[in-house]
Amino acid sequence: MERSDVSLSFSLKKHLHFRSRSRAEGSDKSGFSVDIEFSTGEEFTVLFGPSGTGKSLLLNMLSGIVKPDEGFVRVDGRDVFNSTAGIDIPIRDRRTGYLFQDYAVFPHMTVFENIAYGIDRLPRSKIKAKVEELLELMRLGGLENRFPIELSGGQKQRVALARTLATEPKVLFLDEPFSALDYQVREKLRADLLIIHERYPITTLFVTHDLEEAFIMGEKIAVINNGRLEQFGTREEVFYKPKTRNVAKFLGVRNIFSGRVVSADGTTVTIENPELGEVKALVHPEERPFAAGEKITFGIRPEEIMVILRI
Amino acid sequence: MDIFPLYLTLKVSVTATFFSVIIGLGLAYLMARKGFWGKGVLDALIMQPLVIPPTVLGYYLLVLLGRSGPLGRFFEDKLGVSIVFTWKGAVIAAFVASLPLFVRPARAAIEGVDRNLENAARLLGKTEWEVLKTITIPLAWRGIAAGSVMAFARATGEFGATLMVAGNIPGLTQTLPIAIYDAVQMGNTKMANILVGIITLFSFSVLYFVNRFTRGRY
Repeated sequence: MERSDVSLSFSLKKHLHFRSRSRAEGSDKSGFSVDIEFSTGEEFTVLFGPSGTGKSLLLNMLSGIVKPDEGFVRVDGRDVFNSTAGIDIPIRDRRTGYLFQDYAVFPHMTVFENIAYGIDRLPRSKIKAKVEELLELMRLGGLENRFPIELSGGQKQRVALARTLATEPKVLFLDEPFSALDYQVREKLRADLLIIHERYPITTLFVTHDLEEAFIMGEKIAVINNGRLEQFGTREEVFYKPKTRNVAKFLGVRNIFSGRVVSADGTTVTIENPELGEVKALVHPEERPFAAGEKITFGIRPEEIMVILRI
Repeated sequence: MDIFPLYLTLKVSVTATFFSVIIGLGLAYLMARKGFWGKGVLDALIMQPLVIPPTVLGYYLLVLLGRSGPLGRFFEDKLGVSIVFTWKGAVIAAFVASLPLFVRPARAAIEGVDRNLENAARLLGKTEWEVLKTITIPLAWRGIAAGSVMAFARATGEFGATLMVAGNIPGLTQTLPIAIYDAVQMGNTKMANILVGIITLFSFSVLYFVNRFTRGRY
C-alpha cells in the first residue's frame, strides 16, 4: 500500500419521506432529509452526533449503497457520483473500504477466504502472501481456518478490517464499528485502527455517537445533527470552541446559558444573565470581537469552576 | 410389472423440477430483492396452484395449451410441437403445480440473507452476478435445496392437472399417481398396493431429507 493523498469532498441531499402514523396530526407525510457538505484529506475524520441524525445514511450515500437525490461525491478530484452530470459509478468500482457495525463477515467462509475475497483475481501466491501479511498485522495468526462463528466480536471486526485493507481502498468508511464490543476490546481496536491509519494514511470517515470515541479518534470532527452539519473542524476547534448550542450540548457541556453582552474589550467580556448576574469571561484571542448589547449563548465547564470562600 | 409409469414419473418430475428451480430462482430473487409494479399480482399468480383445485389448474392449461389455445397454436404452428396429451403436457402441469413450492422457501431464504453481506461483497469489487453466486445463493442454499425437494415431490405426486392436460394414455402419458387410480378402478389391488408403497416410501424420504437440509451451522 502506497501513501495516498486522496481527498474526499461531497455535497449530498437525500429526502426521506414516510407516512406518519397518526393522520390526526394533520399531515400524512413527514420526512427527514440529509443535506451535508464538507471535504477532507487523509486525516482521521469522525462523524459525530446523536443517534438517528443521518450519519450512517451519509456513509451509505458516500459509498453508493444508497443513492442520493441530489449532489456529488468526489474522491481524489474525480466524481463517483454527480446527480447533475448523471454520474453514478457502481459500488464495485469505487474502491471504498467499509466496516459495518455488525461486521458483515461472510459466515460461510473461513477467515482466510474472507480476507482473500476481494483479491481473488490475483495469482495464488500473491493472495497467500497478502493474506498472511494482514493476518499478522491484525493479530489473527493461527485463526485462518476458523469460521466466523468460532470467533469473538473483536476478531470478526479485525477480519472485516483485514478483508477491506486487502483491496487497497482509496477511502475507508467505518459505521460505528466497535459499538457492539465491550470496553477493553473497543479500546484495543481503536488503538489498532490508529496505528493502521498511521501506517496506511487512507482518507477515513468514522461514525460514532460516543463522545469519548470521537475525542480519541478524531483528528477532525464533523458534528452532525438532524441531517445537517453543525460544525466541522479539528478536534481542538470543535471541543474547545463549539460554534452552536447544539454542538456544545453534544460535547457534554451541561451548563449552557443565554445572556447579553454588557461590555467587551480585546481580552475580556462581561455578560449579563438573569440567574447568574454579571459574568466576566476571557475572550479567546482568535475569537471575533463582541459588541455591547449582543445576545449570546455561553457555557461554563464544570472543571473550570472554582469556589472561593470570601472572608 | 409394467415399470413405464415409474419411468415416466421420474422423467416428468425431474424435467419439471429443473424448470421450477431455474425459473423459480429468478422469480424468488426478484420477489425478495426488487420492488416493481405488479409485484403483488405476480406473487398471487405464482401461488395460485397452491389454492385452486388441480382440475381447475388443468383446465386453464388445457385452454391455454390446446390446439386452439393461444400458446398451443404458437407451439403447433411455429415449432411443430403439440403439448396436450403428450408427456410434455405432463411436464408443464407438474412445473406449474410445483413452482410455488419452490419459490416460497427460496424467496424466504433469500430474504433472510443479510443485505449488508451483499453490500460488503459489492464494496469489495464484485459484480451483481458474483454477489449472487458467492454470497446470496450459498447463504440461501438450504431454503433453495428444501424448495427443490418439495417441488420434486409435488411434481411426482401431480394428478389432477396432469390428467386434464396429458390424459391417461397407458405407455404414453400414464404417470404413477394416475396408474394407481387406474389400478384401483380395474380392481387390481396388488398393483395398486405396490405403487402406493413406492410413493409412500418416496414421500417419507423426501420429508426426512427436507428436515435434514433445514438444519445448519450458520
